[in-house]
Amino acid sequence: MSSIQLNHITHSFNDKKVINDFTFTFDSGQTYCLLGPSGCGKTTILRLIAGLEVPQNGVIEIDGKIVTENDRLLIPPHKRGIGFVFQDLALWPHFSVFENIAFGLRESIREGSRKPDKGTKLYIEERVIQLLSFFGISDHWKKYPHQLSGGQKQMVAIARSLILNPKILLLDEPMANIDAQLKETIIDHLYTLHEQFGFTMIYVTHDHREAMHSNNTIIVLNKGEIITSGTREQIKNTTDVFTQSFIKL
Amino acid sequence: MVRKISKFLAKNILTIFLGCLLVIPVLVLLCNWISDFGNSAVSGLFKKDNLILIGKSFLLSGTASLLATSLGSVCGFILNKYTFAFKGFYKLVLLIPLLIPDYVYAVAWKDAWQLLFGAGTNINSYTTVIFVHILVFSPIAMLITGSAISQVNRGIEEAGLLMISFRKMLLKILIPIIRPSFTISFLLILIFSLSDFSVPAFFGVRTFTTEIFTQFSAFYNYQAAMGQSVFLLVICMILMFSESRYLSDAPFFAIHTKGSNPKLYNCDNLKFLLHSFLILQLLVAVILPVFILFFQSFSGSEFLLGKAWKLLSPTILQSSVLALSSAFIISVIGLWTSWLKEREKYKLPNTVLMILFIIPSTVLGIAIIGFFNKPVLNFIYASSLMIIIGYIGRFAFISARILGNGIRQIPLSLEEAATVAGIGSLRKYLKITLPLLIPSLFASFVLVFILCFGELGTTIMVYPPGTELMPVKFFTISANAPQALTSSMSLINFGIIISFIGTFYIIGRKVFKRFSYE
Repeated sequence: MSSIQLNHITHSFNDKKVINDFTFTFDSGQTYCLLGPSGCGKTTILRLIAGLEVPQNGVIEIDGKIVTENDRLLIPPHKRGIGFVFQDLALWPHFSVFENIAFGLRESIREGSRKPDKGTKLYIEERVIQLLSFFGISDHWKKYPHQLSGGQKQMVAIARSLILNPKILLLDEPMANIDAQLKETIIDHLYTLHEQFGFTMIYVTHDHREAMHSNNTIIVLNKGEIITSGTREQIKNTTDVFTQSFIKL
Repeated sequence: MVRKISKFLAKNILTIFLGCLLVIPVLVLLCNWISDFGNSAVSGLFKKDNLILIGKSFLLSGTASLLATSLGSVCGFILNKYTFAFKGFYKLVLLIPLLIPDYVYAVAWKDAWQLLFGAGTNINSYTTVIFVHILVFSPIAMLITGSAISQVNRGIEEAGLLMISFRKMLLKILIPIIRPSFTISFLLILIFSLSDFSVPAFFGVRTFTTEIFTQFSAFYNYQAAMGQSVFLLVICMILMFSESRYLSDAPFFAIHTKGSNPKLYNCDNLKFLLHSFLILQLLVAVILPVFILFFQSFSGSEFLLGKAWKLLSPTILQSSVLALSSAFIISVIGLWTSWLKEREKYKLPNTVLMILFIIPSTVLGIAIIGFFNKPVLNFIYASSLMIIIGYIGRFAFISARILGNGIRQIPLSLEEAATVAGIGSLRKYLKITLPLLIPSLFASFVLVFILCFGELGTTIMVYPPGTELMPVKFFTISANAPQALTSSMSLINFGIIISFIGTFYIIGRKVFKRFSYE
């Protein structure tokens, strides 16, 4: 579990400001949903937290530790304890399903000690099998990403993001391009895992129905700024015109 | 019925055309050799001299390919993965060695060696040929690796960066994904290096390609030349089939990388190192050779540049017209072949072009001469058509692959939308596919033009009497001319090609702006 604090974050792409003086604290173990129209800066917030982008100004803290300060990356992405599910899933095409999931764990063990021995190999296998069974894709462990269906790829991407027991899980439009039934299944899986492991979860969507699905804290964004935030009920009853019109859409 | 016939013709006319002009000559070369020599033909191939020569040629080309691939891939990586000032400039200028005929570089470095170590220095060595080949061919690896890197989606790298360090991500994720580009680069450079006639000939290094020319042109030993050609052909074929999977889709370079979103890294700590590396390469591959040619041209007591211009200027028009018409014909063939491969899934013409492409230049020359040197085909043999046929064999595959990449970037749905609207195949091609392909078509035309303009290996074998082409004139004069005159001719050659590149660059900017639709 980790808390994340973003203080006065400003970020631009080619002189176009996408995040404008953004300040927010994501409490430890909670789930958040960033909601807003395309291009409002939702994905950029996730990428800034993960350390994949460095802001021009502002400070990002994880568990009270400064990870990014102005334009300096103090802690690299792989040392932040973050799991990330990309919008295009970004499964490694040259690895099998098993390898896609196991890779991060094996490398972190290698980095921590020496070459993985028989015991660690068994541990890795056990962890991967556990995740594969949880997502119901055990039968596909030998397959390569191009041999999977869209839903199966989605499951592999989520399983991969969880292999290192992250303290923070970031999901960039994880339900895009999948059918309603599968969407329900994946959301159920995510909340079960969240309850089990208690990670801080932030996910991005532009679909207000998806955002209203559970007891998330919803943050409505527009043009890189927070318009409003609160629970499902609070958002429904907001008087803010932009939020009202966006939810009606 | 009419539809079926037109579809059959669209598919097969090109194959028949290529077959008659180029495949049959190569097959005839093979058959003649077998029938002339009988059983001794095969044993003749494995003579000690032949084996040593082929071994040396492969060692030379293999070393050059390995080093050029390494150097070019590093450049391709730096220029496509890091953000820093003047990146576009480096990308453009480092391509120049690929576009300038390699014999110009051979002259420049021969001059440089003599300036540095004295006129009596023994420079006719394998090392110098390898050095020039590395300089000239490394941009191929730079382009191919760069193109592969640009097509790796940023998420693939970022997913790794969330778990492992940058260095490990490179080793375990990025490099394995782009590994085929190293293989393609190595293979293409190996083929170009093996096929190159001018640099080894200029330095007096015996390779299989120069030996075929010597047997044919100096000793008039057609049978020996034919036997050696067949030997080299067989080895190249074996080499090709082992990697044809990669080579048939070789990108050369992609005009667009639509849909890809590559990750770029800041290089604040490495800025000095990267600039130093690129400037050093720029210095060795572009600035120094030009400077040396200038120095040598003006070092003599008489004004040799004027004399060189007098010798070469009559060839400019004929070379340009021939290169322009060849580039046009080759682009049409490339367009046709790539459309058949990418849209009709008919790969035969592409395979034919690939086989012709790997045939060394002098071998192709011998095959064409052997086949067309008949009274009934004299109208081809005695005309510039011989050269155009040679160019088709040498460069049509490059055009087909550039255009194939262009076609791949056009979503199939654009053509399907036209089909649904009831638009016929030809009209769909002319109105939808072709306009979107214009940037690729332009790039293919320019590249083929420049390559044809400087081609020597096949041209020197097949050019008919009365034809005056710049590479041939340059080569024949330089054989007996003083070094300063050769340098002056090289400088003029360099200047002419740079003027062409400059002109095409200005036109290209307008073409790309008008037809890029982004």
